[in-house]
Amino acid sequence: MARAKVEQQAAASGMTLIVMVGLAIAFLLFMAFLNVVKTGNLLTESNLLYAALIFYAGAGSLYLGFGVSGTESYVKFASLATCAGLLANTGAVFHRWYMAGHPPFASIYEMLLSFVWTLAALTLFAEKKFGVKVIGTVTMPVAIVGVVLMQLLPSEVRPLVPALQSTWLHVHVTLAMLAYAACALSFALAMMFLIQDNVETETFLAATSAAVSVAYGAIVLARFEKWGGLSLVAWDPEQKAEVFISRGIRLFVTIPDLGWLMLLVWAGVTAPLIIYAYARWRNDNGLIALADRAVFVSILLQIMALGMFILRARAGRYPSLDAEGLYATSLAASPFILSGLVAGIFVSLLYLMLVWRRNDLERLLPTADSLDRITYKTIGIAFPLLTLMIAAGAYWANRTWGSYWSWDPKETWAAITWLVYAGYLHMRITRGWRGRRAAYFAILGFGVVMFTFFGVTYLLPGLHAYA
Amino acid sequence: MASPRSSFFSKFWQLISSIKTGVILLIVVVIVSAAGTVILQRPMTEADEMQRAYSPQMLRILDATGLTNVFHAWWFVTLLVLVSLSIVAASIERFPNAWRYFSRPYKITDAGFRRVLPTQKQIAIEDSEAALSAAERALQDSGFKPERVGNKPASLFCERNRLSEMAVYIVHASLLLIFLGGIIDGMFGWTGFVSLVNGQQVQKVETRAGAIKNLDFAVRCDGAGQENYADGSPKKWWSKLAVVENGREVLRKEIVVNDPLVYHGVRFYQASFGQTGQVEKLLLTATSKDGKSQDIGLKVGDTVQLDADSSVRFEKFIPDYVVRDGQIYTASTSPQNPAAELLVASAKTGKTVEVWLPEIEGFAHNSESPYLFNPRDLKMANYTGLQVSHEPGQWGVWAGCLLMAVGLATAFYLVHLRIWVTPVRDAKGTLMLWIGGASNKNREAFQDKFSEIIEKIQKELKQAQPRQTQSAKLVEEHETTLVGD
Repeated sequence: MARAKVEQQAAASGMTLIVMVGLAIAFLLFMAFLNVVKTGNLLTESNLLYAALIFYAGAGSLYLGFGVSGTESYVKFASLATCAGLLANTGAVFHRWYMAGHPPFASIYEMLLSFVWTLAALTLFAEKKFGVKVIGTVTMPVAIVGVVLMQLLPSEVRPLVPALQSTWLHVHVTLAMLAYAACALSFALAMMFLIQDNVETETFLAATSAAVSVAYGAIVLARFEKWGGLSLVAWDPEQKAEVFISRGIRLFVTIPDLGWLMLLVWAGVTAPLIIYAYARWRNDNGLIALADRAVFVSILLQIMALGMFILRARAGRYPSLDAEGLYATSLAASPFILSGLVAGIFVSLLYLMLVWRRNDLERLLPTADSLDRITYKTIGIAFPLLTLMIAAGAYWANRTWGSYWSWDPKETWAAITWLVYAGYLHMRITRGWRGRRAAYFAILGFGVVMFTFFGVTYLLPGLHAYA
Repeated sequence: MASPRSSFFSKFWQLISSIKTGVILLIVVVIVSAAGTVILQRPMTEADEMQRAYSPQMLRILDATGLTNVFHAWWFVTLLVLVSLSIVAASIERFPNAWRYFSRPYKITDAGFRRVLPTQKQIAIEDSEAALSAAERALQDSGFKPERVGNKPASLFCERNRLSEMAVYIVHASLLLIFLGGIIDGMFGWTGFVSLVNGQQVQKVETRAGAIKNLDFAVRCDGAGQENYADGSPKKWWSKLAVVENGREVLRKEIVVNDPLVYHGVRFYQASFGQTGQVEKLLLTATSKDGKSQDIGLKVGDTVQLDADSSVRFEKFIPDYVVRDGQIYTASTSPQNPAAELLVASAKTGKTVEVWLPEIEGFAHNSESPYLFNPRDLKMANYTGLQVSHEPGQWGVWAGCLLMAVGLATAFYLVHLRIWVTPVRDAKGTLMLWIGGASNKNREAFQDKFSEIIEKIQKELKQAQPRQTQSAKLVEEHETTLVGD
């Protein structure tokens, strides 16, 4: 939250942001260090992960700051911060590996740890090798959301259940992480292609506000309770687990008034979209500036929503419609809502960055043609990896479950992902789809990947219950 | 050819072999499979859970359309068959051209080709033969194997990774191979489940479809167990299995999760493990009134003589007892609250005393027994659940996967490079060495490579004298560049 304010000031002056981000990193590390002195353990996994989070956040702010102010030196510091974050992240991975006695692939927490690591490594790689300097503007927010999610997920080292005791686990998951990270990279590149391909800024306005509006709409429609409450899954702080009424049915608590706030913010984030539609209808481009201002207001509203959500969900006990008494909840009980709120702020900030500094961005990015080609190359890496990942998974399933294909939701969605990218390749090679259509396809592909990774785990559980 | 039948066929052929149809079919497959993961599926969901989730009318509609069992519905199978047909047709339609291109490489350039080829260069030369040998050396230096083709004038041709042109067909063939494996398994394969207790032997397996499969061998369980981690979560399930054929033991294996037993194409997987609720052995210490004690072990139904007069019989075992309405029931099959009934009989008096361990009030007459019984250990009979499957088509699937890996590697990472060198006369009649090149992907990288080759040729042309050994310079460039056009 503080970060957003810092950026607006930084727009005015040159070095301010680097100094402020540097100070913020130093301050946070110092606070963490005080904590370390108290407990006496320096190199624990959570400390390392915290350091990684600080550095990634610093890198993310600098990348964003570059977008806002156009100062090129920010990018250099941003990639330095990414390096430091990657170092801490590597430490966390190895610590986990050492403590658990197996590579960190066994739960959704460990998978996220590996995924964020791969993403940061690939970001640096793309920056150095392909010269896409601002790729971090898109990938760092993803990494930050990943690390924040990790703080919320159960992270105890659990011994491997029998089905996971296989070399194929490592083969399968390594391939999956590499493939997914390559898909994330192709998504970021496709986005940048759209910028370089002179897609009108207004179109980004429509797309970003639609995305944020859908996120809030989903929260409100799914969780708004009578009398303006917001229902959240109850959390048992002692067991560190969700509260279940019966098998598979979770207990929901209602936080009063939070529903009204969410409804208000939903209206706020939808406003730019409505103004955009009206401007299009009236063919009045003056209104677009109004819509941009509405985006700015919506960010403030979103920050308020996130702040209230964190404050209310972290503390206090709330009534439930399904059971007597008061129950606690926790951020960990609602990882999706929290990541939705954080991602919404990032998406809106990215849009503002585009509005303010499009020219600088265009100057710094490779040409549209080469971005188009690099996107294709990245998918050329991702697709064989996806194929091998599915094949390794099938082989492993055959050894464990007795069948190489059982139409489990995770399997089916992996196949769907594969088909989407196969469609991309066919359209590109045989139909000559280049440029914008191919970029939209790459973006769609990454959406499906994210659903396969997170959505299926939480929404469509099946045999593949570990992650 | 004009008969309506053949025109219908050719129309169908046109339709099925078009890329558009293929992509539309794929989109339909994607939508339907996504629906199959969202709608509860019969094979994986209990019937009453389905009834809870959907209203009766809804359920009837879903069942009638096959949406509750999408992946085994006839129309889904038809869809997959159509996809395969589309791949086959599209490949057949395009293959002859590609094959011609592959099997009869274009080696001698003609004037038209030389005019339109985008990547080319002309260098003024004095003598055709000397220039050709210079080019030959330069190309060899770059790792090519140039061949002399044609005469009057002779020219050079070299290429690399011609297989790359066939990559698409390799990938599609591998996909068909995987489908073939799946179809064979769908038709001839089966999966089933057996549960075995220690010492039990089976030859029949009930399949998931409900049929009984008679194996031409039997499988015997020689023990099964579970190991736990310190926190109580399961670490390992194992079963010792033996294969018995014609009354002879032919194979022994301890299977664990992830490591099945395979015999005659039938696989036995460790799927579950649990307690039967039956007792294998109850170990007791029997102490007589005068303080003499002895250890005995009993199975249910066993009788053991304790002394000349008394004997004890293990009458009944109840794994999880509850007493209700003057009756003893068991609440479950797991030994959470076990109780054992012993009958202590006296040969002299013919009197039988009912002893319950633990002493259940209203049933037990433990005080009347001449012996005191202390349970030492209770060994429960475990069962091991084995998933049994026969998948004759899986080798097609694995071969398909390997072939696909090869095909994709070829498609994305092998670049077909071709270089032609021909002495020509330009419009003014000057003798020129025409050099042309083509690559089927990654054109920029090829441009650089081409300029490099041109430089080398120019250098060779300049050094008319015999070449010094340049083997040290022979640094081959890696060709593992990616696709990109």
